[in-house]
Amino acid sequence: MGKNYSLPADHELFPEGTSRCSLTKFSIWMGLVGAVALWGLYAAFRVLAEGLGVTALDDYFGFGLWITFDLAVIALGAGAFFTGLLRYILNIDPLKNIINLTVIIGFICYSGAMLILVLDVGQPIRAWFGYWHANVHSMLTEVIFCITCYLIVLIIEYVPLILEQKQLNKIPVLHHIAHNLHVWMPLFAGIGAFLSTFHQGSLGGMYGVLFGRPYVLRDGFFIWPWTFFLFVISAVGSGPVFTVLIATIMEKMTGKKLVSWEIKTLMGKIAGAMLLVYLVFKFADTYAWAIDVLPRSGLTFDQNFYQTIYGKWLLWSELFLCGVIPCVILLTPKLRNNPVLFYSAAFLDCAGITINRYVFTVQALAMPVLPFDTWETYAPNWAEWGASALVLAYGAIILSLSYRYLPVFPQERSLNATKSN
Amino acid sequence: MQTKEFTIKWGMAIDLDKCTGCGACMVACQAENNLAPIADASNKIKVMNWITVYELSNGKPYPEHDVAYLPRPCQQCGHPPCVSVCPVIATDKNEEGGIVSQVTPRCIGCRYCMAACPYHARYFNWRDPVWPGGLEKALTPDVSVRPRGVVEKCTFCHHRWMAAKDKAIVEGRDPMDLAEGEYVTSCTEACPNGAITFGDLNNEEHEVAKLASSKHAHRLLERLGAHTQVYYVSRREWVLRQLDNYLEDEKVKG
Amino acid sequence: MAVDRRGFLKFVAGATTGVLATPVPWKLLDDASIWTQNWSWIPRNVDGANSYVSTISKLCPSAAGMKVRLVGERPVRVLPDDNHPLSMGGITALAVAEVQLMYSPSRVKRPLKHAGDGAYVAISWEEAEKMLKENLRRAGSKVAYVSGDETGTINELLSGMAKESGSEDFYVMPSEVQPAALAFASMNGKGQLGYDIENSDYVFAIGANILESWGTVLRNRAAFKKSHPAAKKPTVKFVYAGPVQNNTAAGADEWLPAKSGAEAIVAMGIANLLIKSGATINAPDFAEFKALAAQYTPQKVAALAGVAPAKLKAIAAELSKAQRPVVLTGSEFGQGTGVATVLAGTAVNMLLGSFGREGGVKALPLAPKVIASGMDRSESAQKDLVAYLSRISAGKVSKPRAMVFYEANPVYGLPQPAAMAKVMDKVPFKVAFTSFLDETAKACDLILPTPLGLERFDDVETPYGIGQAFYSLARPVAPCVIDGKPAADVLLSVATQLNMDLGFATFEEILQAKAEAAGADWDSLMEGEFFTSDAVAEQSNLRIAADVIGKALAAAPKAAKLSIAPVQKLSLGTPNTAIPPYNNKTIRRWELQKNEMYVAMNGATARELGVVKHDRIKLSNSSGSIQARVNIFEGVMPNTIAVLMGFGHTAFDEFSKGKGENVMELLTVGYEAGTGQSVWNVAGVNVSKA
Repeated sequence: MGKNYSLPADHELFPEGTSRCSLTKFSIWMGLVGAVALWGLYAAFRVLAEGLGVTALDDYFGFGLWITFDLAVIALGAGAFFTGLLRYILNIDPLKNIINLTVIIGFICYSGAMLILVLDVGQPIRAWFGYWHANVHSMLTEVIFCITCYLIVLIIEYVPLILEQKQLNKIPVLHHIAHNLHVWMPLFAGIGAFLSTFHQGSLGGMYGVLFGRPYVLRDGFFIWPWTFFLFVISAVGSGPVFTVLIATIMEKMTGKKLVSWEIKTLMGKIAGAMLLVYLVFKFADTYAWAIDVLPRSGLTFDQNFYQTIYGKWLLWSELFLCGVIPCVILLTPKLRNNPVLFYSAAFLDCAGITINRYVFTVQALAMPVLPFDTWETYAPNWAEWGASALVLAYGAIILSLSYRYLPVFPQERSLNATKSN
Repeated sequence: MQTKEFTIKWGMAIDLDKCTGCGACMVACQAENNLAPIADASNKIKVMNWITVYELSNGKPYPEHDVAYLPRPCQQCGHPPCVSVCPVIATDKNEEGGIVSQVTPRCIGCRYCMAACPYHARYFNWRDPVWPGGLEKALTPDVSVRPRGVVEKCTFCHHRWMAAKDKAIVEGRDPMDLAEGEYVTSCTEACPNGAITFGDLNNEEHEVAKLASSKHAHRLLERLGAHTQVYYVSRREWVLRQLDNYLEDEKVKG
Repeated sequence: MAVDRRGFLKFVAGATTGVLATPVPWKLLDDASIWTQNWSWIPRNVDGANSYVSTISKLCPSAAGMKVRLVGERPVRVLPDDNHPLSMGGITALAVAEVQLMYSPSRVKRPLKHAGDGAYVAISWEEAEKMLKENLRRAGSKVAYVSGDETGTINELLSGMAKESGSEDFYVMPSEVQPAALAFASMNGKGQLGYDIENSDYVFAIGANILESWGTVLRNRAAFKKSHPAAKKPTVKFVYAGPVQNNTAAGADEWLPAKSGAEAIVAMGIANLLIKSGATINAPDFAEFKALAAQYTPQKVAALAGVAPAKLKAIAAELSKAQRPVVLTGSEFGQGTGVATVLAGTAVNMLLGSFGREGGVKALPLAPKVIASGMDRSESAQKDLVAYLSRISAGKVSKPRAMVFYEANPVYGLPQPAAMAKVMDKVPFKVAFTSFLDETAKACDLILPTPLGLERFDDVETPYGIGQAFYSLARPVAPCVIDGKPAADVLLSVATQLNMDLGFATFEEILQAKAEAAGADWDSLMEGEFFTSDAVAEQSNLRIAADVIGKALAAAPKAAKLSIAPVQKLSLGTPNTAIPPYNNKTIRRWELQKNEMYVAMNGATARELGVVKHDRIKLSNSSGSIQARVNIFEGVMPNTIAVLMGFGHTAFDEFSKGKGENVMELLTVGYEAGTGQSVWNVAGVNVSKA
């Protein structure tokens, strides 16, 4: 076989039948992302070396940008477990065309969240105490167990994809492992769905059980406060469209069609349906909170909001602009099939869930519960932004490498073939 | 989780009409429990204090204005919001006396307990403690120094209770039957106005038990149901009203 | 290679099990949990046997009685002393930090010489003593001594040395002591005014910050504690009159807003009402006093002092109904008040029949001086440091060739400190005996470290404010942690070399003589006991000194449109200690942010000035100016700006230095008509946005 020097130097590693940009271009991109990552690594180093005093966190805002970021990416990364559930357990076959991407995004989101957590806990060397000295009453214990277990599941789900890399797959043992893992995938998808449901729920439960914080306190069902269920449903109501958004961004950046419009809108429809369920519960929950939790805590609705930074606009945006509107768009075929409206809806959906995670994390802590206390405000500083940017950069690196070298998109060949032929 | 009850329940009654906000309790606490000093202590929500003194105002303009000071140690809740949330059981309420423990060598520094505590009684070691100029020579041997990255809080000077029990045992007395005043916290002891009364809430002979049942005694955020072991006493209606959240038309209890 | 799938999985599973079966991961985990609680840079607990030593604070102006807890040889805590009359089971926010102050980063660790280039050079004690001796010899009679100690016999030593060298210039840092002593002297009184608060049934503090800084605070507070049983109706009413709802007002049963510096007027207003209701004083100048008091109608008091007439009348009525009322006067910031203030307050006590009565005002006998050439307290009260420095500045007296500062920090602590420092600048040789590198030490040529009160022998005699004669020793509870020498030892050695005859060879002998003069038993004092006596000084020909009050009030400065009310809190230390390391956590949020201080005013005043909370403003007057931010606090009188004392240090350490600005810069010195006493409790100020 003669060499074709017009192909990139690393073309032997590309997925079967695909083309990729030149190695130089790719290196420049990786360099840019790498620079961001280096800044983040510096922030991470400072935090680990000097302590969390480097951040803008304080004794009122023990949770801040990082926890918000973690909760948001974990919710948005829910595309992985939910799509897996639909694909492998409920056998919605077309989803096979996007399942790989959901797994990678899930992996990035969860491993990124773990990275942030390493910085965010004051004693990372003691992180394993969560297993050794586990408090079964703590929602956070459930989160620790489920997140770590689920990350393992995600790794198991990600591994066959890596092993299917063209050159690696030529090695028989790796080929066999990949094949067998594929066979077992429904089992992992099931375990993943179980774990993920519980920790998404526990993350919500973490807030709902805080009876000292009327802003987030929720009654609930059995041991689970309503936020437990709200967090699960909101995650599945946004995760799928987040995957679609990432796929679309990748399409824009690579100039290729990667996922068919039908698959995207199918994901949108699924998310929209879940979002509808979520909104029904969310409205009911907000109402119950306003007429029950607050008055019995001696608080009025207005006392939960403060100036612009923690104003009511956040709530209205979360409920209507980023809730009802995207839900209507995603569920109405005519609107859904308009790409501009579809992508806007997807974005708003994700934004709404992020606002939800933000206000539950930050506004809950900003609000004075002691009558003689005052509202406090929080703005993350460079160290927190830096570490968050590190995770974004890390995600970009993983995605870029995966796209370049792994067979992530089954439809890529056919979609681009029809286009170029 | 239900309210934990014990035979002995150490508690405090702080008379807000007697506190003048001098700060002796805060300084005594720091010296007793080996808190590190800090050069710039002006960011009040990033400075370690096991007990801090809030300023309360009746909200009226001059000359109707009235002021009160409220010292806030850990409230040692009977139903602590912080304990159940801790993923590693670094804080617990299971010891006779009802003091909410904080095991700093166990703490992983997740700060979930801080988010849970509406009293802001919990503090995080944002940096390693530093005692400049040889100040570490004045550290007491009773309380271990905490490194950065862990949460800590008031323990009602738990070491003093241990010492009082040891003393009783050595003297052949029942360590579970300490006389009033044999064990008091450092802040109680330091207060020059006698604003803090400390003792066993379950022992009717203890002054604190009598004060806790006074109609002038309320607990902080009582309606949240944390069942705190710290009572605040005031004969001023406006002060009592600031101890909990009330809707406009609600009357102050008691 | 013949590794099949099954083989590979077996290998992975086997390896995992194998590693887990070894102690390696478990040991590592165990170690990790041990490491994370034993970092080498975190101090370890150092255990030892506990012991407790009773002593008295020489650092806290309240002369706090205290027990020091030692672990082995290490003092670790200052604790209250239930049995001490100057503790009564309480401790001040300053005294409780005294052990920690032994290790303050700003302690002077060895004798220092100020070199020509401004640097400090460590020198030996021999060299230091030689330098001191030579400079004192060279100065001859042109020497001035300044003491920051109000209660110690070392003042007799310092004043004795001044006199032996032919100088009359011995001064104690200004406080409430001098005006009280001068007032009582002008009444023909003998002894020191004492206030029997604990036996009183109605306590009216005019200006005197009795629950925070005035007099023997812990004893005052003990009286408050006893009369205010928790959750019950108080048995004694405490009323505080002052411009700011300060800590004393917070505890008092009633706050009577009254302008700063108008304390005498408030007292005269009360006197007038009492006389109208039939009260008299058996004194030769009562008629004169009555006529004078009659001018101070409630309306006039309202105009001059801002006191609501109805409230004034109510308090007068309550006072006359009370069985054992006592009136205390002073400045809310512990200094700068005039003689007339004390006289007017004492006159009210006399009208109430409280003079010489249980629960009232007493004349306490002071021990006679033991150093023949030294000054006793009434003599030294006549010596006005602020007036002296002002006269030097005006060229009315020549400047000394040497100045000796003993635990005094006038460069920070006097009114208009910049101007005072300028005067001191011209003095060719200055020496500071000090524990901390304070502003005055930094301006001195020679800095001699003194052991703290916890590290040396010293004494406390009847501090101002206490209701009974008192004497006790401060004893060294621990070895001095620096290369320090007690100032008294150094001074006695130098005095001997200069051939001065003070009559004693050692300070211990002086203290023994003093104890004997006070009627105390030396041996029990050495065991930490204290001496108290309920004896009172006999009086004859006591008068009200109405003429002195009249002259002073006639020429009293009118309150300015906008005035300053300094606020004193013991937790922020004294000019000698600055803010102790642990105490800056007690500074309230809107008192200081980073290095910017806040000043407080009420909402109406702020609106009038066109400022809102957090605005940066400049406060200025003819004396100086400071910058601050605005805090709104409704417990401040209209047209008054409350400024916290204790900020603006330019020396000391990171816990004090550069934090805020010094309110003393704004306090303008005036002179009381008639007595000539320097006063600075009335300061007008202009505010502009900065």
